[in-house]
Amino acid sequence: MVSNSRRTVLTGFGVLSPIGSTPEAFWDALVAGACGVRTVSLFDASELPCHIAGEVQGFVAKAMMAETKYRKELKSMARTVELGVIGSQLAMQSAKLAKGTVPPNRIGIEFASLMGASDLNDMAAASKLSAPDGETVDHGVWGAAGLNEITPVWMLKYLPNMPACHATILYDIQGPSNTQIPGDTSGLVALFEATRILRRGATDVMVVGGSEARINPITLSRHNLFVQLSKRNDDPTHAVRPFDATRDGTVLGEGAAVFTLEELEHARVRNATILGEVVGWASGVDRGKKGPGLARVIRNALTTAGIRPGEVDHVNAHGTGTTAGDAFEACGIAEVFGRGVPVFAPLSRFGNLGAASGLMELACSVLALKHGLLPGTLNHEKPAADCPINVHSGAPRPVTKPYAVKVTYTDLGQCAAVVVKRWSDA
Amino acid sequence: MRRRVVITGMGVITPLGHSVGELFASVVAGRTAVAPIVHFDARTFPTTFASQVSGFDLAKYLPDAAKFRNCGVNTKYALAAGKQAITDAGLLEIKGDRSRMGVYLGSGEGQENFEVLTTSISKATPAGERTADFCQASALLFKRLNGPQEAEAEMYAPSGYLADTFALDGPFASCQTACAASSQAIGEAGEMIRTGEADVMLAGGSHSMITPTGISGFNRLTALSQRNDSPTTASRPFDLTRDGFVIGEGAGLMVLEELEHAKARGAHIVAELTGYGSTADAYRMTDPHPEGKGAIRCMANALADAGLNPTDIGYINAHGTSTQANDAAETAAIKSVFGDHAYKIPVSSSKSMLGHLIAAAGVAELVISMMAIQRGVIPPTINLETPDPDCDLDYVPHHARESRFRHALSNSFGFGGQNIALVVSAFKG
Repeated sequence: MVSNSRRTVLTGFGVLSPIGSTPEAFWDALVAGACGVRTVSLFDASELPCHIAGEVQGFVAKAMMAETKYRKELKSMARTVELGVIGSQLAMQSAKLAKGTVPPNRIGIEFASLMGASDLNDMAAASKLSAPDGETVDHGVWGAAGLNEITPVWMLKYLPNMPACHATILYDIQGPSNTQIPGDTSGLVALFEATRILRRGATDVMVVGGSEARINPITLSRHNLFVQLSKRNDDPTHAVRPFDATRDGTVLGEGAAVFTLEELEHARVRNATILGEVVGWASGVDRGKKGPGLARVIRNALTTAGIRPGEVDHVNAHGTGTTAGDAFEACGIAEVFGRGVPVFAPLSRFGNLGAASGLMELACSVLALKHGLLPGTLNHEKPAADCPINVHSGAPRPVTKPYAVKVTYTDLGQCAAVVVKRWSDA
Repeated sequence: MRRRVVITGMGVITPLGHSVGELFASVVAGRTAVAPIVHFDARTFPTTFASQVSGFDLAKYLPDAAKFRNCGVNTKYALAAGKQAITDAGLLEIKGDRSRMGVYLGSGEGQENFEVLTTSISKATPAGERTADFCQASALLFKRLNGPQEAEAEMYAPSGYLADTFALDGPFASCQTACAASSQAIGEAGEMIRTGEADVMLAGGSHSMITPTGISGFNRLTALSQRNDSPTTASRPFDLTRDGFVIGEGAGLMVLEELEHAKARGAHIVAELTGYGSTADAYRMTDPHPEGKGAIRCMANALADAGLNPTDIGYINAHGTSTQANDAAETAAIKSVFGDHAYKIPVSSSKSMLGHLIAAAGVAELVISMMAIQRGVIPPTINLETPDPDCDLDYVPHHARESRFRHALSNSFGFGGQNIALVVSAFKG
């Protein structure tokens, strides 16, 4: 990669998660070994095979939205969008970046999101009219009568780019605005693009976030059909078992994780608190999810950061707790690091957050480097033979080296890895 | 010296042709494919017509097409257009390490099972009520939805299958910024080549929203033309009587390649991607800024990025959606950027013929722009009959025009306020 003198640092962090909705609460929960996976409470999911998940507790966007005049727009926001918009607000507050602090064309946004699942009640009256017997739908009735029962803003509530759109309006962000959608890798892909934009000098600050609300009838029933979800409904806090011999699937979660990423000199001039530095990244595809492709992506990330595997304090894995996923990921990690570098998988604390997963998981390592303490991987008790890596579990251990590597992937083998560095002014 | 990015392959699946040659011949001839919707029964919808892809068969492109039977059209169109583009570029012949070739796709949501959603929600909604029993509804959805189809509806699928099918093991991204998505994908993929992250990127977009959900959503926003008695004249960008856009569908992919890489393997160079500008309006969810504030900056940024003056541009392929708000704001923005010269530049809207391909619109229009440079022919804006005093540029009405020029600018603006401008130039070594 072309060398570039512009350095990129994380200066703000907003979080809405199943284990805490301030950076402090989130960190305390990580250190304490807390778990946010519970029986689903946002709706009665008891008829679904897996009905446990990580939910953001007590999230009320209206109460949290600081710009009171904008609360009326909440009617155009599904929960995924609300989480992203409030998450962005929390990140901007955390970075002490009020609207107008940065010239509008020097700040941009990169978000990780997806097309949200419709609220069933947005479609209930129209569906009742058009499919009265609950067996077949009459498109003619839907078009002639059902449509009138649909709120005019129906589509806007769910469009993928709406978290970014609302954030641009709320904070007068007029630089580039993009929304990434490649599944669990979306957050890191958004971070990489934000870093490129900063390095090429197009902006000085980027909001980089991901959000997804997955605990609704459509998303949860769909994922029960095609994702290996844990059968441990009776024991939710022990359900997700990353790289463990007894793992039996993952669970879904929801939330938002949003950073502000800033050019170093810009951050220094305004005396910002620096949480960490993004020093290298790579993405690429491991066709058939065999391992060597993931290893190549990790090596490329290390190369762009200009570091060797031995300088890495820990690898932050996606660690979904699925049989095939963990074996694949461990294989790729092992090819680069062997058993030499501890692996930490935070997902067992809050579930798979989808579009929000990459940055939420990354946040755990950013905070670990900052606090000098690496929390343990929850529910990793019996190392799996097909996961030949050194998983850090149990009590937190001190951070001993300056770098962490965050890894994630999709089911089609799209892999992403980022290298972050503990901040020190030296 | 910055790494230069050239285009070495193109492919399209559009309502006006399943190849670049067919598409360009159609738009030069001023043809349109807008017709009553056949994908589902839309006869009672406020809008009953669209610009649809017809006669599409993935098996014509991929021998193992059956493998993708559960995929939605976003994936299928992308694979067919991608196959054309990489064949055109000769990428399949590159043996060995494929880790510096990647994918950047602007693509849409997964295929939604409207039938199962509506029937399940209905059954779970007591008569006379407006709220569903979520417990019952989720049980019905779990029972009725098709698992393999739902798995393929995940939004990473179209970009993931492109990489998997064509062995593009390098960097990837996939964005969804509504009508700006494929232009943004091309612009940012170009940046990935410029920075050295990749040497080759298959970039573009794929999208269809000609579904009950898509048409319903746009109809409720009153964004679509409702000229049901005359579908072929419904898309009328810059015309005073325009009443909304005409929805289309399709895909376009192009192979972006670092210049020296292309030269070294003797690739045919179609054009050079010279400029990219990207801004946000920060204004409203759907309406563009009335003076085109963000559009002005993105065009100016793209020109600066290309190192060109406004007078260097020989053709503007407008976003030109045929909505009242866009066409007036875009015209104002062009005048602001180009000054008096704005009146001397031919500006046309391919959407007058092609309809609006949403996430795939930008790439299809960039393909047309490059062909216009190559062939020396500027395609028209059809259906422009009644002048709008707010839209007073040279929109190349009705008929294509011969013109020799080196640089074209293509605009794409999306719901949500993303503005993208791309500049493509005749290649000169």
